[in-house]
Amino acid sequence: MAHMIEVRDLVLVYSNGIRAVDNISFNVKKGEFFGFLGPNGAGKSTTIKVLTTLLRKTSGSVHISGYNLDKDAKEIRKIIGVQSQETSVDGDLTGRENLMLQGHFQQLSGKTLKDRVDELLKLIDLQNFADKRVRNYSGGMKKRLDLATTLVHRPPLVFLDEPTTGLDPQSRSAIWSYLEKLNKEEETTIFLTTQYMEEADRLCKQLAIIDTGKIVASGSPNELKQQIGVDSIKISLQDCAKDKSAAIDLLKSLTGVANITESGDCLIVFAKDASRLIADIVRAFDSLDIRLSEVNFSSPTLDDVYLQKTGKRIRPEALVKTPSRGFGGRRR
Amino acid sequence: MALLSDTRYLFVRYLKKLVRNPILLFFSLFQPIIFLTLFTQLFQRFASVPGFPAGSYLIFATPGILLQNAFGSALQSGNSIVSDIDTGYLQKMLVTPVSRYAILLGRLTSDAFRVVIQSTIILSLAFLLGATPITGIVGVLIMLLTVAFFGLAWSGISLAIGLKTKSSETVFAFGSFLTFPLLFMSTALTPLDFMPDWIKTVSMFNPISYTVNAVRVLMIDGFVWHTILSTYLVIGVIALITLGTTVYLFRKVVS
Repeated sequence: MAHMIEVRDLVLVYSNGIRAVDNISFNVKKGEFFGFLGPNGAGKSTTIKVLTTLLRKTSGSVHISGYNLDKDAKEIRKIIGVQSQETSVDGDLTGRENLMLQGHFQQLSGKTLKDRVDELLKLIDLQNFADKRVRNYSGGMKKRLDLATTLVHRPPLVFLDEPTTGLDPQSRSAIWSYLEKLNKEEETTIFLTTQYMEEADRLCKQLAIIDTGKIVASGSPNELKQQIGVDSIKISLQDCAKDKSAAIDLLKSLTGVANITESGDCLIVFAKDASRLIADIVRAFDSLDIRLSEVNFSSPTLDDVYLQKTGKRIRPEALVKTPSRGFGGRRR
Repeated sequence: MALLSDTRYLFVRYLKKLVRNPILLFFSLFQPIIFLTLFTQLFQRFASVPGFPAGSYLIFATPGILLQNAFGSALQSGNSIVSDIDTGYLQKMLVTPVSRYAILLGRLTSDAFRVVIQSTIILSLAFLLGATPITGIVGVLIMLLTVAFFGLAWSGISLAIGLKTKSSETVFAFGSFLTFPLLFMSTALTPLDFMPDWIKTVSMFNPISYTVNAVRVLMIDGFVWHTILSTYLVIGVIALITLGTTVYLFRKVVS
């Protein structure tokens, strides 16, 4: 299958010296749903800005649908749709006017554009609000409209930069459904960045986990989770500071324990058969009078993959984001 | 041609924003209307001082108030580009094939149009108060064209500041800082001969004076073409500098 995106040794260093993208390479096949998973500051948005012609790369090569980013930026802009992190719709215009204007930017006009706008309004369930000013829309409605504006010219490739950040579960679920439909029915290639493990797990057929500008793991969500090969047991102690070192020594002596990591709650134990091991852990801790406050076990998640590869978790508080102004570096 | 059609779509976008926020138009007109109704009354007897170049202070000051409005209004244009940067709308436009220059031209032409609307309101009010232009409707049209061209030239500098600083506070502060010193050191509200020597000297180099003089001759004296045409030369030079700077900065940002 031909590649829609081909990235080789991509580097972007901002004028302040920060190496936001550090020698990454990846391919995205035509029709694939591809995701970049990572926390704030990992380099996800910067990569999207480079691929969508907004930022000039420092080095490396990028081809989009066969077009060379360095030479064919104008051609690339015709075949991509881009939804940035900020909901960028014009609040003074109506939903219909926003879509029409975006269509004009894509050189569409007349009945073709009008019909497409009607179709999109129906798709995002905004027909009844189409002629109301967008400033009166809810956050979820604005986000849906923003997504629709990126699709107005039926782009074969869509970039979505954290499309559901800050949305309520209902709106998030609605966006996920539109995206799945878009990918399956129209065979649109989708490049999505996210901090949500659940989102990456549900939507993406291929994933790259990115941290401090580097790709630390890639594959399908299942492949990545299988790489872990073990379950995780989260252990909270009543007095973690006092008992942690004794607990670690004890855990190391138990059969089946693959790895032990310190975490915010206290400890995480990786083990092949966690459900059986829990009873041993409880008994062993009891014999040494180490007081447990909570024990949980779970099958491997993408967060565990991230933890194993980087030693950090993608923290939920990282989801409270400061909107980027988008003009931090050199522009194309 | 993409440049023209894209400019038209963006012009219409800004126009809709203006029409849907009439309060902004009202507040921007508040100061010139106060000048027109109160300031001209306060200095009414100024016209009886020997050597005053007009029959009333109202007809003398109306061109100055027009230029004050155009200048102040133009110096706030940069706020719109800052707003488009802040909301991500500029970025949204830049990932489409839309003509880059249309983004700038749409903004500039809509600013010029807004100045024409404001100037028409000010001139209508001045007419109701008794200031009748001697050159009639043709003169009024040339006045509006001159004021629009003047506004266009100064919008450029505001847009350049907006693009460079991405801060609406800086755009606002720059506009406020520049408007009154340049206005008071021009012939907008006081005849040249009535000024202290040092202000007279500054005024002779002040582009507002040139533009005010052109509008004033159309208001009071008639079609004095050498004054009008020399004004267009001065505004043209300003436009070349400010718009050249804006285009340079804009190209750095978007292309």
